[in-house]
Amino acid sequence: MKLAVLMSDYRTGSDIVDRLSAEKLGIILVGNGVYHAAAKEGGKACPILEKKADFYALTEDFESRGFTADKLDSRVKAVNYGDLVDLIFNDYEKVIWL
Amino acid sequence: MGKLTIGTFSSLVGSMSLDFAVKLSEAAVKKGHKVDFWMSGNATMLAKKGQKAFKDYSFLSKTLQEMLATGNFNITACEACAEARGYHKEDCPDGFQRKSMDWYLASTFEADRVLHIGGD
Amino acid sequence: MATKKLAFVVRSLPYKTEASRLALTHAISSQTVEIYLNDGDLVEASISYVGDGVFNILKNQQAGKHYGITTNEGHAKNTLLLDLKVLICKEDLDKFGLTEENLVMDAEDLGGDMRANIVSYNEIQKEMETADHLLFC
Repeated sequence: MKLAVLMSDYRTGSDIVDRLSAEKLGIILVGNGVYHAAAKEGGKACPILEKKADFYALTEDFESRGFTADKLDSRVKAVNYGDLVDLIFNDYEKVIWL
Repeated sequence: MGKLTIGTFSSLVGSMSLDFAVKLSEAAVKKGHKVDFWMSGNATMLAKKGQKAFKDYSFLSKTLQEMLATGNFNITACEACAEARGYHKEDCPDGFQRKSMDWYLASTFEADRVLHIGGD
Repeated sequence: MATKKLAFVVRSLPYKTEASRLALTHAISSQTVEIYLNDGDLVEASISYVGDGVFNILKNQQAGKHYGITTNEGHAKNTLLLDLKVLICKEDLDKFGLTEENLVMDAEDLGGDMRANIVSYNEIQKEMETADHLLFC
């Protein structure tokens, strides 16, 4: 399946993501999920970014939390709501919210 | 153009997930898609008229009315969830519907994509 | 004539929020969805309990006594009474030291003949793959 995961939290949901498998997996970081794209613990990037997936982060949620584009992990692409709609309709068949 | 059904349980004030759902709907409608928007649980707070804009809180009424005016946006609240919170039929904003939960499941039947925001 | 498959995946704990309860009540409402559809069209719901979600089906919940509300145990039983497919993740039960003795596995006392299935996560993954839409709660 082609699955888009809208990840809205930082501390929960990773257990679910770890187990999900999909022929094409997109992880779209929204709300507090954007911390996965920028926060570093012990100097290390978030382990979720090691997952075989395409990563996106919603720019307005990223910027609202005090991050600037230079803090976005290089594996993550910044998107806006219009991009998100296109991803959902064109690139993935199923969408879940965590 | 496709149809997106969004179901959400998140509250209007106290969570930004409902804002996310409305903004995603707005972007989808602007691109010409149809959106069915289902509110259950605390999300039914959005189906109460007379909301005032304060800078500390989200105010989504204007966006919702603009989307309704396009004819491509349908917004429906769970009747039992609303009644349990003291929101009655006469409290429902213009253009909003109130139905039982099976309406939401029926909406998914023809939906190309379903986003269920079942948290908060 | 068509059938759309919805997979509800319950992953949240009960009572603090309404999320898991609403997952069950929405899944149950699939039984009356035909009134909105054309003849022969159907929406079929399944429920999978994963992660913390397995705590929703513990037996002996006393929310009625203490909170004055129906229990998630009762709703879980209703899903079995209505013949919904119910899957429970074995790995998560093992993690929490739970067995089927601890869980709502059927609604026999209410006249139901369905049984919940304890399955490996792989089976739940397959259920998600065959569903048309996924609803995580």
